[in-house]
Amino acid sequence: MPEAKNRLATFNDERSSIVDDVTRRVVGGRLRLAERSPDASLEYVLNEVAFAEIQRLQKSGSRDNKKRLARWHDLAHKLGHMSEFDKRKELESIVRYHAQDIAGNFNPRVFRFATDVLPPALSFLLNPISGFREGVRALGALAEQIRIEGPVDQIQRCCKRGTLVVTPTHSSNLDSIVLGFALNRVGLPPVTYGAGKNLFTNPFMSYFMENLGAYRVDRRMQFGLYKEILKEYSTVLLERGYHSLFFPGGTRARSNMVEAKLKLGLLGTTVSAMVNRSEDSGDEIPRIYIVPVTINYRLVLEAETLIEDYLEETGRSRYIIEDDEFSRLGRIVEFARKTLAHEGAAVLRFGAPLDAFGNPVDAEGESLDNRGHVIDPRGYLRDATGVVQRDAQRDSVYTRVLGRKLSAAYRRDTVLMGTHIVARACLEVAHQRTGIGDILRLMRLSESALAVPVEDLVQAVGQLREAILQQPENGVLDVALTTLTPKEIVDQTLHYMSTYHVKRVLYQSGSHIRVGSMKLLYYYRNRCAHVRFSLSPSESATNEAAR
Amino acid sequence: MKPLNFDAERVGILGAGPFGVALGSMLAGGGRPVTIWSTTASVVDSINRERTCDRLPGHTIPAGLEAVSDLEELVSKARFLVLAVSSESACDRLQTLGRVADTSHIAVHAIGALAPEGDRRISQLIAEETPILRSGVVAGPSMAADIAAGRSTSLVCASEFDEVTRESRRLLSIPSKMRLYRSQDVVGAELASALSGAYTIAVGLADGLEVGIGIRAVLVTRAISEMTLLGTALGGTAKTFSGLAGLGNLLVRSSVEHGRISPSYRLGLDLVKGRAECEGEGMRAAIAGLRLARSQNLSLPILETVVSIGAGEVSAREAALSIFETVTEEE
Repeated sequence: MPEAKNRLATFNDERSSIVDDVTRRVVGGRLRLAERSPDASLEYVLNEVAFAEIQRLQKSGSRDNKKRLARWHDLAHKLGHMSEFDKRKELESIVRYHAQDIAGNFNPRVFRFATDVLPPALSFLLNPISGFREGVRALGALAEQIRIEGPVDQIQRCCKRGTLVVTPTHSSNLDSIVLGFALNRVGLPPVTYGAGKNLFTNPFMSYFMENLGAYRVDRRMQFGLYKEILKEYSTVLLERGYHSLFFPGGTRARSNMVEAKLKLGLLGTTVSAMVNRSEDSGDEIPRIYIVPVTINYRLVLEAETLIEDYLEETGRSRYIIEDDEFSRLGRIVEFARKTLAHEGAAVLRFGAPLDAFGNPVDAEGESLDNRGHVIDPRGYLRDATGVVQRDAQRDSVYTRVLGRKLSAAYRRDTVLMGTHIVARACLEVAHQRTGIGDILRLMRLSESALAVPVEDLVQAVGQLREAILQQPENGVLDVALTTLTPKEIVDQTLHYMSTYHVKRVLYQSGSHIRVGSMKLLYYYRNRCAHVRFSLSPSESATNEAAR
Repeated sequence: MKPLNFDAERVGILGAGPFGVALGSMLAGGGRPVTIWSTTASVVDSINRERTCDRLPGHTIPAGLEAVSDLEELVSKARFLVLAVSSESACDRLQTLGRVADTSHIAVHAIGALAPEGDRRISQLIAEETPILRSGVVAGPSMAADIAAGRSTSLVCASEFDEVTRESRRLLSIPSKMRLYRSQDVVGAELASALSGAYTIAVGLADGLEVGIGIRAVLVTRAISEMTLLGTALGGTAKTFSGLAGLGNLLVRSSVEHGRISPSYRLGLDLVKGRAECEGEGMRAAIAGLRLARSQNLSLPILETVVSIGAGEVSAREAALSIFETVTEEE
């Protein structure tokens, strides 16, 4: 079996041929569609691009946009008189421009720097040191701060045999850094991934992203052609064996609930790449592996902004948040030193790899059916005569099937940490004491009204931990919690909850636990909202009822 | 792993019960090659030699239909498979199919019931027990006797995959005899088909009590309403329940023609006389439907009544008095 290669090392040599491939395919596809239906004529396609761009540029109101606006106005005016040849040239130019804009870059020197220097530096940064010596000792301690779990050996073997598509949950902009570190530590090669173009405005991040194979996704582009170019770019990369990363949740989970509704656009490129590679694969089965990953933080850097955004129901309009904690370097450092510095502050858990149709694979990467029999996944692409066929509708269903399997994997592999468990338990106790079942109504009560006896919370934490252990399909208990008593979990979590956020999430006052920030409590509770749990009546609640 | 060399025109039918044999005969009579699989050697022998089958008495089987006892032989010949076995044997038969089927097969089932264990839909069983992903359901008011007699009839084929409905229409449609409608609502079609058996018992009860055609019409309408309530809560689409798989099935199962009576309707009639053994797919569907309704916190008075009569908790006459009092006021 060949060694897993850093395919990205040769990316720059292939860059122009990748852009050529993407351009040729997208333009070819549009020409074929235009031949078949007047609704898909080139005039219609170009008009849609011009209209979307005019709308976008007019809204932004920047002076630099004047020239660009004029270019699109000009195109819209002359479209009716353009020859088919000119329309085709225009289409090709637009597609090539965007394909080039999307295509990333890989600089091996920056990669070496990132892998050799960054982890110790990050570790240094993460440790709340009091002196230089301690700081030096802290170098290399990152492994303790970010724990890595899961079937790493199997994924390594899959990586040598085929192309990996790493699909993590998404809670924070730190995810890509944590993931990059984890891949490197378990001996997996770097992956290419689509990063929102807005992230490239942060100069520190931008430098690394631009040089480490990230491709730019401009979410402001609202026309269908752009999405098509983006998908084709991803398809071409997968076909050429570039290990990739998608965040199927699309954006950071605002509510902190485990992602259940996934965006299937880029995920669907795995099936497209399978179709393209199966057409001329001969006896060899093309291998593309989907690797679910959950990234679990005890505390989340951007929690305050994210939950605020979720509760204001502006999640949709603020798909791109440019003014959150991630945009303030000081806040990142504070977060790193105060929270990530603790052992097991983040757990990255790899799930069992799947094939492009959501089937499990064995230790050697062969696709299996549900009963463990080896299968040839190319059969899913064959028609009645045994020929591999393209069928967009069929492939969209396969992608939905894959999406369902991924959602189940996210639930199963979510690591439930002390903050999640204590927050859920606390709200369950509050619900029991107030009789208010609706969580949003409960949140409207004053924070001081929600004092919970310590003993009730401890009891609830114990019960919830048992419930989690009974439901392996709904998550994994943080290994650090298995040996602690419920009281120790509560005490430890209260400490963590007071370290980073501006407001303490929960705090103890005498014999009661009080809520410092209801929104954050709700945010952390959401991570284990899917666990089936109903609280048995506590002694104090029973006594109170009796009174 | 070489791809199997299928006959793209052939239909493979699993199960030589009345529906399987009638469907196979109609297709073969229309010129389509058909292979039918049965575990019973005498049935295979009788179909191949005598051109008859004791499960469909008096019916002559056309030459284009062959029977086999080896499932591997069937799946190597036909890519398009129709599962036409009883719901009780579905799991076992699908496990056998899972050992020999290939990822390129397409399977639709014609089982108007849920799997006996776990209230699962048959399409879920197909996904669990076989490597087949492209699957669907055919359902509707097509009785085996009608199909065998060459009467014109219709089914709906539901699948998430357009390719499955396309292939079903291409391979199962016979002009002037069988017309296939298409739908993407697999959950709805399977539930509608299964639940219509349960509500057929209720119509049988009403007819046994001789409540009259007005009340019967109210009952049928409310039955569809209840089915829709449960079906949509579980992910189905409302219109499926008033379509062929729901209303169509209920009407045909609760009608008597040439002395033919469906088992669920017969059960309803017998329950009134107090001499019924509460078994069969209709009663199982009623019990499963009620469990599903409770899991969704839904109240379905007709279904609850059928189950309580079946369990002997109330008599049919007592229940008839109470049922119209408990039906919701809002339509």
